[in-house]
Amino acid sequence: MSAALAFRPRTLAAWWPAGLLAALVACAILAPWLAPMDPDRQNLMARLKAPGFEARGALYLLGSDELGRDVLSRVIHGARVSIVVAVSSVLLSGVVGVAVGMLAAYLRGWVETVLMRLVDIFLSIPAILLAIITVAVLGPGFINVILVLALTRWPRYARVAYGQTLALADRPFVRLSRAMGASTPRVLALHILPNIIGPLLVVATLEFGLMVLFEAGLSFLGLGVQPPMASWGAMLSTGRNYIATAWWIATFPGLALFLLVLSANLIGDRLGDLIGKGR
Amino acid sequence: MSLLDLSDLAIQAGELSLVDGVTLDVHPGEIVALVGESGSGKSLTALSIVDLLGEGLRVTRGSRRFDGADLTPKRLRKLRGQDIAMIFQEPVSSLNPLMPVGAQVAESLIVHGTASESEAQSAAIDMLRRVGIPDPDRRATQLPAELSGGMCQRVMIAAALISRPRLLIADEPTTALDVTIQAQILSLIRDLTREQGTAVLLITHDMGVVAEMADRVCVMYGGRVVEQGAVHDLFAAPRHPYTDMLLRTMPRPDDPPKEPLFAIKGSVPGPRDWPSGCRFRSRCPRADAACTERPPLQGDGHRAACFHPMRPT
Repeated sequence: MSAALAFRPRTLAAWWPAGLLAALVACAILAPWLAPMDPDRQNLMARLKAPGFEARGALYLLGSDELGRDVLSRVIHGARVSIVVAVSSVLLSGVVGVAVGMLAAYLRGWVETVLMRLVDIFLSIPAILLAIITVAVLGPGFINVILVLALTRWPRYARVAYGQTLALADRPFVRLSRAMGASTPRVLALHILPNIIGPLLVVATLEFGLMVLFEAGLSFLGLGVQPPMASWGAMLSTGRNYIATAWWIATFPGLALFLLVLSANLIGDRLGDLIGKGR
Repeated sequence: MSLLDLSDLAIQAGELSLVDGVTLDVHPGEIVALVGESGSGKSLTALSIVDLLGEGLRVTRGSRRFDGADLTPKRLRKLRGQDIAMIFQEPVSSLNPLMPVGAQVAESLIVHGTASESEAQSAAIDMLRRVGIPDPDRRATQLPAELSGGMCQRVMIAAALISRPRLLIADEPTTALDVTIQAQILSLIRDLTREQGTAVLLITHDMGVVAEMADRVCVMYGGRVVEQGAVHDLFAAPRHPYTDMLLRTMPRPDDPPKEPLFAIKGSVPGPRDWPSGCRFRSRCPRADAACTERPPLQGDGHRAACFHPMRPT
C-alpha cells in the first residue's frame, strides 16, 4: 500500500482534493491573520452591502451581513468551527466506535450481543431526532455539538471495526499471540488495530465530510454553535432571510461548505480505491 | 514425573463429541508425536492444552495437568509463551503482516516482562541467528512478506523458543513447507529443543516425520487414542489394526516397485457417523461382534485399544 500511496508526479494531479483540503485547513489555522476584519465587529452603517463595498478604508470583499459584519472574515473564521467540530467528533466517535466494535468481535459471547444490539438501536434512531433530544437535554453550544455528533455516529465505526476484527480474530497470528500469553488489550492494540486501520481511515475521511454538513445543519436549525460565533450553518440560516436582496450572505459560506465536503469525500473515495486494490 | 499429563480428556461442540477420553503424557525433554488423520481430534487435543479451542468448543471431561498442577485459565496466562510455547502450521499467516519479525520474536519476553525492550530485541536477533537466519540484524527489521515460507517458520520457531519453554506444542510445523525445507525445519526443532531440554508435543499426520523425530507416539482415530508406545516398538510391532494399516500406507524403498501403494479402504467418518464401540470397526477387517463394545487401552508401556490386536499384548 505504501508504494501505491507514494506521490509520483503522474498521480500527484489526482490528489488535488488533498491540496484543497490543506488550503482550507490552513485558512482555519491562520484565520486571525488571514481575515481582514474582526468577524464579530458590527457596523450598522455598513449593513447588507454588496461584495466590493468600501467604507472608511475597509474593503468588504465578499460584502457584509445584516449586522454589517464582513462576510469574508466570517467565512474564514467559520472554517475553524467546521473543521474543529468535524475533527473532534470524528476522533471521539471513532475511538468509541472502534473500541466497541473490536471488543464485541474479539470477546464474542454476551459482550458481543449487548454491544452490537446497542449499535443496532442507535442506528435505528433518526440522527436528527437524537440530536434534537440531546441538545434539548444538554443545551446548545460548541462542545455539545461535538458530543451530539459523536453520539450519533459511533455505531458506524463500530460496525466496520466489528466486521474487520471478526475476520482477523481467527487468523493464526492472532491466535498465536494469545498462545504466547499476550493480553487482550495488547492483542487488540498491537495485532488487530494496525491491520484494520486502513478501512477505518476511509470511513473516518468520509465521516469528516458528513460531520461538516451535520454541524452546519444543526447550526442552521439553531441547535448547534451559538451566535455570535461564526458558523457556516448559522450564516446560511440568517442568509436565507435575505436571499432575495443580499445573496452573498448565504452563497459564500455555502460555497466554502461545498468545497470542504467535496475535498473530504474525494479523498475518502480515493483512499477506499487504494485500499481495495491492496487487498 | 511427567511434565504434561492429559487424562480422560473430552471435547465437545455442543452435543457433538469430537475428542473422547484422550489420555496422554509427555515427560521432560522428550518428543511425543500425536498422529492421526484430519478430524481425528489431534489438533483439538493440543489446542485444549493452551485453552485456545475456538468458539463453541469446550472441554467437558477429564483433567489437564502441567508440572503436577491443574491447568487453570489463571495459571495458563502465566505459562503460555513462557513455559508452554506453540508453533502453528501456516508460518506466513501465523505472523502479523505489519510487525517486524524481530519484534514478533521478542514478543513473549516483552509480554511476560522478563526483559526490557532493548534486551528483548538483542535476544531476538540472537535467537534468529540460532535458527539459521542469515544477516539477522537486517532480517529482524523486515516484515513477514519480505521472508520466504521456510524463513517465516524459522522465525516462528525462534519466537516459540526464545523464552526457553519447557514444552513446545508444534501443530503440523512442516505441512505447509517444501519437502527439502521440511527436513531442515524438523532437524532444527529437534536440535534446539534437545539443547534447551524442551519437551515437544508434535502433531502430525506424517509417519515419516514421526519416525525421524519422536521418542514416543500416540496414534489417534475418531477422537480417541488407539495406540501409544515408544517409536521403535510401535513401528516394529504395531498392535492396533489402524496403526498397522497406517504404517503400510508408507512407501518403502524395498517394496516391489510395480505393486500399488496400500490404502486404507473407505474414509474417516465424520463425528456424527462414528460407530458405537470401537470407532475403527467400520473400516477394520478384523472387526466382529465384540467390537461394538468400547475397547480399553491395554498393555504396559506399549498400549493399544483393540479386542483383536495384530499381536498379543
